[in-house]
Amino acid sequence: MRLQQPILKYLWLILICCPTLVVAKTTTFAISNAPNSLHPILASDASSERINALIYQPIIELDGNDRPISGLADITQHDAQHYSLVLSSMQHRFSNNADVSLLDIEASLNLARHHPRSPQAQTLSNIASIETTEQSILISLKKPDYRFAEKLHISVAPKDMLLEDETLAQRPIGSGAFIWITTQGDGGVTLRHRRSAEEIRFVVNKDPTMRVLKLLKGEASILQNDLPHEMYRLLKDDPNIQVAQTPGTTFSYLGFNMADPILKQDEIRQAIAYAINRQDIVKHLFQGNAKLANTLLAPGHWAAHPDLPAYEYSPDKAKHLLATLGFSKDNPLELSYKTSTDPFRLRIAAVFQQQLREVGIHLKIQSYEWGSFFGDIKAGRFQLYSLSWVGIRSPDVFRYVYHSDSLPPSGANRGRYVSAEVDQLIEQAEELPLEKSLPLYRKIQEKIHRDLVYVPLWHEDQIVASRRGDLKPNKHGSYQYLEQAFGQH
Amino acid sequence: MLRALLDRFWVLLGVITLVFFLTALVPGDPVDVMLGERATGADREALRASLGLDKSIVERWSSYVINVMQGDLGNSLLKQRPVTDLIQERLPATFQLAILSFAIVVAIAIPLGSYAARKHQQLGDHAATVFALLGQSIPNFWLGPMLVLLFSIYFAWLPISGNETWQHIILPAVTLGFSMTAIAVRMLRSSLLEILHQDWMRTARAKGGAESQVFWRHAVPNAMIPVLTLLSLQLGALLSGAVITEVVFSWPGIGSLLIDAIQQRDYPLIQGIVLVIAVLYIVINLVTDVLLGWIDPRIETQS
Repeated sequence: MRLQQPILKYLWLILICCPTLVVAKTTTFAISNAPNSLHPILASDASSERINALIYQPIIELDGNDRPISGLADITQHDAQHYSLVLSSMQHRFSNNADVSLLDIEASLNLARHHPRSPQAQTLSNIASIETTEQSILISLKKPDYRFAEKLHISVAPKDMLLEDETLAQRPIGSGAFIWITTQGDGGVTLRHRRSAEEIRFVVNKDPTMRVLKLLKGEASILQNDLPHEMYRLLKDDPNIQVAQTPGTTFSYLGFNMADPILKQDEIRQAIAYAINRQDIVKHLFQGNAKLANTLLAPGHWAAHPDLPAYEYSPDKAKHLLATLGFSKDNPLELSYKTSTDPFRLRIAAVFQQQLREVGIHLKIQSYEWGSFFGDIKAGRFQLYSLSWVGIRSPDVFRYVYHSDSLPPSGANRGRYVSAEVDQLIEQAEELPLEKSLPLYRKIQEKIHRDLVYVPLWHEDQIVASRRGDLKPNKHGSYQYLEQAFGQH
Repeated sequence: MLRALLDRFWVLLGVITLVFFLTALVPGDPVDVMLGERATGADREALRASLGLDKSIVERWSSYVINVMQGDLGNSLLKQRPVTDLIQERLPATFQLAILSFAIVVAIAIPLGSYAARKHQQLGDHAATVFALLGQSIPNFWLGPMLVLLFSIYFAWLPISGNETWQHIILPAVTLGFSMTAIAVRMLRSSLLEILHQDWMRTARAKGGAESQVFWRHAVPNAMIPVLTLLSLQLGALLSGAVITEVVFSWPGIGSLLIDAIQQRDYPLIQGIVLVIAVLYIVINLVTDVLLGWIDPRIETQS
């Protein structure tokens, strides 16, 4: 007994002091798509970006209202063309135990600017020079940009590793809350929470029914979005499963080809807007899991216009507008609508078709596999289509979506909308500090709303179904709520 | 044999060429997938050049063929890894699933097809026919979830999806094997029924051998010739990745990799996977020809 007691004491001490020796608890998160790359700069798909946000930390973080705050660095604005970065007072360390340095930040920033596959190269093209001293990084811009700080939401990896694209993409080393452990055969990954040593395994299952069954049986602990909405009701009925949701920023819209001779007529676009009963679609198809939208930016965003009048469902108004152009149920207007092969999007298309038929518009639904569908939209081969904007955080999106310089392939002005007034407002707003730009952004939204470039449809909720009760999704659909939930254990 | 190999080389070259040009015709641009819509025209052109997509299609084809001959299938555009590595990672899972499904087909189809033929127009034959009809009628995308509901949810005997343990392979293998078994049962049954009424079978019986001996020694080997051809094609289909089954059960084989590659316009990966599938088909056909010649030497003589 004497011999055993010290041994037990030591074992107990080891177990307390070294949490990694305790068998790690693993949570399984079923996702629909595997991440393509875990490279901090070159990853471009949503799945990679969400997982990377757990592994890496950005230079500048964005707060709940999408305003820039300190990340790995603190930023100082000297004037609209000169900024400096210093390491944040909190020490950060990569998973290879090296401290994060200014050189790592500089190297990551330069890779994001210059790598031919970097999706951020365009956003950072305004940088004229970067000068790094022992204490700080000085950044000079080619032209004034008051919102440059938010463009530094760029992940940082060790300088030496950045030269090895393939290694970093497969064995990422970051300073985020989670450490990469392994990549499975299905492309899913396992991460370990630094503080609690709890592990999370992302497993890939494309089939939504199977993901739900996995959750119901306990093979998976977490699901997020990408499920038919009637399934959430099924999950809510299960006492072992908690379904948490929050209003999201994903904005769905019905897009018009403004270069089309029929659709460039205001009356036609307005008639379509009045003929669509968005409330019913949200109620029945989304089971209430979406909020009606009036503008691209979600409610609560600092630049979102709070008082735009909604295009209410009014089939009579729609019929009247069409009648002025000679169209009626007996002499219907023929239009085509392109969408993907996603079954839920096809159901929405069928409802649009029915609602428009009621007012005298015959909608021909053309469904294509995603690559072909998106290729057609960018090439302008469409009359009507529907898509969503995901993860909108900055009003810079207005240039990208509505400016006449942003016609595809040099932007996402997919509807071919050209307005000198909107172009000018966008350019003016970009040159003003945040608060002063607000009235201009509201004017832009008013004009866009009046011109009905899109029919704003809804902002889809972010929904997490899990077997643990401590998860609350965030509005952008990222997985960063896991950092807090795992940290509590 | 040399001639046969040479013939297959030309087939392979034809497949490479066809797949290369068909892939190039598919709408959609990998540069869009990689850079998104925010990139400038200059960025897009730079990336296009770095990927070699700025060259003419004939130039791209000739360099692709030369690289393939040297064993280099290129790099995946999106995963930024050698295509050969990605395929090598997925092939073992595909082989496991294909072999087990094939074993199920052989283990069930030969006894059941033989039994049905011997019990022609009896209860056993009718039961086998109904089984074959069901197997051919039920699609995999329905059968898979039904098996999951029954064996994973209701009885809780087997896991739903993934590939962590040996139990994970059972449901996808049964799903895949079910329809193929049905086809093989029908083929073997009808082939045997035809053979059992041949004159030479009557002669074999007249020699005084037991019915079972005549059946297994004379009828079954002869009936196996069309069945073997069919099974080889099925094995080829299994090895080329059972796309739907792999997607439903999250089985990490080359079928699900191919789907991802097509959706993301990852040209080198699509071409690499199709090339590997073509090679597998060619090898299986070659082995089948040899086997058929071994079972029935007349086939080799005629060819």
